[in-house]
Amino acid sequence: MREKDYKKLVDKHSKKENKLKNVIIAFISGGVIGVIAEGITNFISKNYSLPMDESYIYSTLFIVCLASIFTGIGFFDKIVSFAKAGLIVPTTGFAHSMTCSALDYKKEGFTKGIGGNIFKLTGSIILYAIVVSFFLVLIKGCIE
Amino acid sequence: MIYINAFIFCGVVCAIGQMILENTKMTPGDLNTILVITGAFLSCVGLYELFLEWAGGGATMPIMNFGHVVFQGAYNGFKETGILGLLNGLLSSSAVLTFTIIISFLVTILFKPKH
Repeated sequence: MREKDYKKLVDKHSKKENKLKNVIIAFISGGVIGVIAEGITNFISKNYSLPMDESYIYSTLFIVCLASIFTGIGFFDKIVSFAKAGLIVPTTGFAHSMTCSALDYKKEGFTKGIGGNIFKLTGSIILYAIVVSFFLVLIKGCIE
Repeated sequence: MIYINAFIFCGVVCAIGQMILENTKMTPGDLNTILVITGAFLSCVGLYELFLEWAGGGATMPIMNFGHVVFQGAYNGFKETGILGLLNGLLSSSAVLTFTIIISFLVTILFKPKH
């Protein structure tokens, strides 16, 4: 059988996921996360009388903490398979992939396992954030 | 009102992410990398601060905010002390990054991997 025919056969029998439905689910779940973050921020800034920009950081820290612990329990994977990008794009996805890669290689030990693999998935995010920002600031500084 | 804005902004970013995942062969890691770079660009142009004002917590949640934070720290450092300030400033306001590293390490020690 040729490769093309095989591909056709696979496409025919593999289940087609509804793309529009997934996008709508991602929209709603992402929106709910945004509303939760805003709610926690307002709660913190009212009850502890902190300035808004500090309470934004505290609410993000709180959500990161929750996401990381849920990943440890194993509960996060179940929500991600339902909410998809709604949980991958927010900071929860960042915390999840960092915790996940560290947990998976835990048995290889502290240096080679956890130390070597904790940035396996999130390393590219940190790398490109730093490199791109460095050059953007240089360019913007030279223009001004 | 800001709750609705937060819902719309965070929702739209996530929906765009889901569309990219559906229609291309990108992995979630690629998607997040692209979003961080986009965040740094938007911050460079001055748009992301407007988003933060408009959507509040909704704009702090997407990973784009990490690019914005890194860029702003570096830019403020550059304005104060030039190239050294730029290098110092790159991670000057990354409380979320350091906290994520610490909490991930603690969770890794306390929990067992699920398979």
